[in-house]
Amino acid sequence: MNRYERAAIGAVALMLIAGAAIFFYAPTDYLQGPVQRIFYLHVSSAIAAFGCFAVVLVGGVIYLRNESPAADRFARSGALVGVVFTTVTLVMGMLWAKTVWGAFWVWDARLTSTLVLWIIYAGYLLVRRLADPGRQAARFAAVVGIFGFVDVPVVHFSVTWWTTQHPGPVIINDALPPQMLATFLFTMACTVVLAAVMIAIRYRIETLVDEREQLFDPAKVLVAREPEPVQ
Amino acid sequence: MNPFRVALAVARKDLRSEWRTREVVPALAQFIILALLIGNFGFQVDSRNAASIAPGILWLALVFAGLVAFGRTFAAEREQASLEAMLMTPASPVAIFAGKAVAASLLLIACEAVMLPALSLFFGTPFSADVVAAVLIATVGMAALGCLFAAMVARVRARELLLPLLTLPLWIPFIIAGGQAVQSAMGLPGSYSEAISLLIDFDILFLVLTSLAARFVLDE
Repeated sequence: MNRYERAAIGAVALMLIAGAAIFFYAPTDYLQGPVQRIFYLHVSSAIAAFGCFAVVLVGGVIYLRNESPAADRFARSGALVGVVFTTVTLVMGMLWAKTVWGAFWVWDARLTSTLVLWIIYAGYLLVRRLADPGRQAARFAAVVGIFGFVDVPVVHFSVTWWTTQHPGPVIINDALPPQMLATFLFTMACTVVLAAVMIAIRYRIETLVDEREQLFDPAKVLVAREPEPVQ
Repeated sequence: MNPFRVALAVARKDLRSEWRTREVVPALAQFIILALLIGNFGFQVDSRNAASIAPGILWLALVFAGLVAFGRTFAAEREQASLEAMLMTPASPVAIFAGKAVAASLLLIACEAVMLPALSLFFGTPFSADVVAAVLIATVGMAALGCLFAAMVARVRARELLLPLLTLPLWIPFIIAGGQAVQSAMGLPGSYSEAISLLIDFDILFLVLTSLAARFVLDE
């Protein structure tokens, strides 16, 4: 078993423990009942997604500064994992909303900006697929990643800037009882670890892909294209 | 080379070539009229609901016309491979980009000059300075973003697919604020001045970001 497999198993085990804490340790919400337990993973994956998009931003900036292929690979990995966690946030939020608001979707600022975030980074992944691989795709994607990050603070502050149906921050406002807070913080830590492990594994995959295509080393491409010496 | 003169020269070149060929503006003007027609039959507009539907039709038509206008800006250069020639001159890529963005926004403004009167003609909504100002202020930031991504996708295979996909999500802030501004200018509830100041904030933010990023998009 290599270290990626060990890390993956560790991250999944942590998520299972978090799941146990969510269902057996955290108290049931008095008003909403068991559906409130969605909260723990819903908010944690949103935070993990923000972290992933921060990786895309930093990777993009570093790539534009010095064309480091490693930075670009980190950005690629971060975007993919971030889209996964944004999807989790949106889907779990919709399930929760159906129960407590009566509709899967309302067009308030938090939901809209999160959907836009998802579209932006899904677009980022499409740029990677459609642009000619190599420097061009990496540069364009870095620009998209930097522009796209503008939406992250918008999502975060949307509940304070506008009147939304989506509730405002509960953690920093000290609105949670201690057991819920502990469960949330533990779930959040586990989710962030999971995201980090996923990025690391994805980074490894991207490295292997790059090595196969040798896109970032023009010298190797030239050598590979040289005709066989005539015997 | 003075970047302002470069930008001006590029913008004048683009506008002159549009003046000689008269391709983009007539086509887009017709597109906009058709969009208004589709809006009318899609929504069953009458004098009671016109004020609530017209802003939506306005932004839909404007957004898609904008995509075509900005896509065309770099498409013509690509067909002639003239962008590479321009980039080989000592002129700074940012100045070239700025010139093309200015020309493209002027073309879009020419289309807006058709759209806004047509909107109030067909739907009976007020044609006021407030509506014009909101649309023009939104055009500034939208043009900067649209041209940046148009320049970016010009050399990508699936450019027609990618341009809307990249541009539309980042235009949404302008559509939210601009939508609110036009709605309140047409008599619906909502604060006009608040929406306008938000639009100006977005303009400044994206103009700064675009001017920083333009170098990486054009410079190959």
